[in-house]
Amino acid sequence: MAQHLEPAEIKAFSRIIDELNYYEILEVKPGAERTKIRDAFHQAARRFHPDGHRNSAEDLHKLIDRISKRITEAYTILRNPRRRQAYDELLAKDTEEVRIPLAELEAAAEKAADDAHQGTTPNGRRYFSMANNSEQQGDIKGAVRNLQMALTYERDNELFKEKLEELRKQLTS
Amino acid sequence: MAKTTIGIDLGTSNSCVAIASEGEEPCVLNNARDESITPSVVYFKEDGSIDVGMQAKVNVIHDPANTVYSAKRLIGRYFFSDEVKKAKAVYSYGIEEGPDHSVRIKIRDEVLSLAEISAMVLREMKQIAEGHVEGDIEGAVITVPAFFNDNQRQATRDAGQIAGLNVLRILNEPTAAALAYGFGKDLDQRVAVYDLGGGTFDISILEINNDVFEVLATAGDTYLGGDDFDDRIIDFLADRFVAEHKINLRNDPNAYERLKLQSEAIKKEFSKNDEVTYSIMDLARDEAGHSLSIEGTINIKEFTALVMDLIQRTFKVCDEAMQQAGLTNRDLDGIILVGGPTRLPLVRNSVQEYFQQDPKADIDPDKVVAVGAAIHAAALTCDNQDTHLLDVTPLTLRIGVAGGLAETIIEANTPIPIEQTRAFTTFQDYQETVKLRVYQGESRHAEDNEMLGEFAFSGFETGRRGEVRIDVIFSINTDGIVEVTAMDPATGVKASTELTLSSGLSQDEIQHIMEEGRANDVVTETAIGSVNLVKMPSSHVLEATSQANQAPEELLPLPSADDQLELAEDLDLDDLSGGLELDTAPAGPDLDAAPVVGLEAEPAGGIELDDFAPDPAIEALIDENSVDFEGDPDEALELELETGPSSNNRMDASLIAGDEEELELEIDESDDGLELELDDHDQDQAVIQESRDLLFGDVGEDLSLSEEDEEKPE
Repeated sequence: MAQHLEPAEIKAFSRIIDELNYYEILEVKPGAERTKIRDAFHQAARRFHPDGHRNSAEDLHKLIDRISKRITEAYTILRNPRRRQAYDELLAKDTEEVRIPLAELEAAAEKAADDAHQGTTPNGRRYFSMANNSEQQGDIKGAVRNLQMALTYERDNELFKEKLEELRKQLTS
Repeated sequence: MAKTTIGIDLGTSNSCVAIASEGEEPCVLNNARDESITPSVVYFKEDGSIDVGMQAKVNVIHDPANTVYSAKRLIGRYFFSDEVKKAKAVYSYGIEEGPDHSVRIKIRDEVLSLAEISAMVLREMKQIAEGHVEGDIEGAVITVPAFFNDNQRQATRDAGQIAGLNVLRILNEPTAAALAYGFGKDLDQRVAVYDLGGGTFDISILEINNDVFEVLATAGDTYLGGDDFDDRIIDFLADRFVAEHKINLRNDPNAYERLKLQSEAIKKEFSKNDEVTYSIMDLARDEAGHSLSIEGTINIKEFTALVMDLIQRTFKVCDEAMQQAGLTNRDLDGIILVGGPTRLPLVRNSVQEYFQQDPKADIDPDKVVAVGAAIHAAALTCDNQDTHLLDVTPLTLRIGVAGGLAETIIEANTPIPIEQTRAFTTFQDYQETVKLRVYQGESRHAEDNEMLGEFAFSGFETGRRGEVRIDVIFSINTDGIVEVTAMDPATGVKASTELTLSSGLSQDEIQHIMEEGRANDVVTETAIGSVNLVKMPSSHVLEATSQANQAPEELLPLPSADDQLELAEDLDLDDLSGGLELDTAPAGPDLDAAPVVGLEAEPAGGIELDDFAPDPAIEALIDENSVDFEGDPDEALELELETGPSSNNRMDASLIAGDEEELELEIDESDDGLELELDDHDQDQAVIQESRDLLFGDVGEDLSLSEEDEEKPE
């Protein structure tokens, strides 16, 4: 059920949202587990998703829009362990800053991936990283498939070839 | 009284409309032939009127040139895209280039946009619904493949508007299917929706938590579907015909369309049988005028061999989505199959094998999307909404930066609605305009992505370079549609745009089409200009001694305290018709190799430096025919030289500055073309280390490095 919100409540939340950190926006404790964060996000969506406020007045609609975008932003950071760690580090710095720019975070991650020389083409990198994930999940066959895909984009990538050789050995043993 | 709203599944091959009235089971509304699905085919009659649906589909054989099908494969695409090229090769109706690389359909004497064609199908669906309800249709949810980009979504929304529908939402097909499956059941489940349609494939992984439907990840291929299965059978039959009769039916539109219809029928037969007998009479005539036919059987083994690689392709996409969602097969509580081709046991069994569980058997793959759309339409218009769809953006939103790269702004699979702000600064003193180029896609190379549009911003308070701050706000709304706003935070001056494909239709044009019925000529105008976004220069500075006063329209991200931005350089002399551009791009990890110095010359016809626009800075450059740089020791520089309109006309060279800091770039015009020379002042020797062949096919210009420069340093 969509929860009924008083306009005053929406206005008040919108006024303070810029000062709230992502944990406060979702109303979870900083150490909260992932499932708690998910539930909190769902709860926040029930209250603030724009779909539930289509008929509200224009000024309220703008506030809802702003709030809901901040809620997804908070969730996008906190549901991902890597981003969440970066965010926790930011909060630990005792700054006033409560937001972390997603774009910069991702640019840094892309850079890190590049630094690891995991391929020279977007698809090569993508399938190589998927192969690594499959391997971590114990899906060696999947990893082999992904590496084969990666190699179709980068025929001469020695790293890919080595890895494939290694995985094939694992499969036969 | 509750408002009447509908859900429309606008498919590549077939469309379906459904309604979800309060207190009643949501249901599909049948057409006049009492069929739940209506072919998405439009036939243009000689008298100017049209037929839509089965009535139109029969004309595919009799009058292929005037029968438009599979328009969804073309909507929102650029004319130069591979998908449009493929379609042009096999479709029997006229596909032409419209303004700004758009696609237009030419039928009889009319030229129509794809949005208008789709609007004809949507109008038909609306009329079907009107036959079942009293009063007006107040609003509609229209579904699109989850992997549709912004251009395709906008074009679909335009189509709805042209059809006279109040489009409540553009909804992703797999999300709609999940909603139809889980609505009102109080589930706590994770499901995968495997949606293989006529022309597109999507996979979405959702988490259903009672009334909340959260998409965890989505992936897709917008050019993979049942049509491709048909094509394989067509090829099989056409090859047989060549073998038997030495005649290629692909060159005869009528025969080809008959093969196509038969192939579709053969494919459908494989839903029930393991062997299909076919007999297609009178496909061609031999030299003596005898009628030639083809008959035989295809067994399941042959059929499997024809299409198995297509099915395997879908699982690559599934791998991607599962990985993005961070799930394995064991985490999934259910598999929902959507789309006609999933009726094939071959597809079902493959899906079962891949996910290691049986797909849900009680869901109608043809109707489930329309039903989900109807449920959402009803939810959006009722006062007390009881379902919440939390969807994601399927593609990474990017902004073009120098060096032909595109930087991530909002990653694929980020929940929507979302907004991200990035701060930029100007590159030039007292620069008056900045331009942005926005892309969607998964490549860091701008050209490999779909360009959503460009956007110029002016009216901000000018100042010295680096001192002006411009905030650019990227927003994706609940329809998945992208909006970009640029703002001067000092003055509050704002400009915003919903990015529209340059071939898209403006509100005025939509209005015009709606008023005119069907417009013949849709012309759009868009500003074309060059855009360069350059990252903020940091300590590694290459300074060009001759610098344009005011020409370029560039933008730099505003450096923040721990900004990782590396070297960036730019002397940009474009913004001249047939301009000359010299720029350097960010170095370090953003490029595979080294900083790039680019030199572009775009004369009309030939390279004549005198022809360049009389910008004082350019004249200065030409007078001296040289530019000086301060190089960074031990950093390799890469040179790009371009001429003419094609990006093929490019030369790359790199050099090592060595210990010296001063480099001179010399441009000489000779009878043979341009000569480019890079000199290291102090050592007075050329430092060009390597050059690759020039590709000057388009303009026939002969650009070369002067020979004496090709020595390697030390």
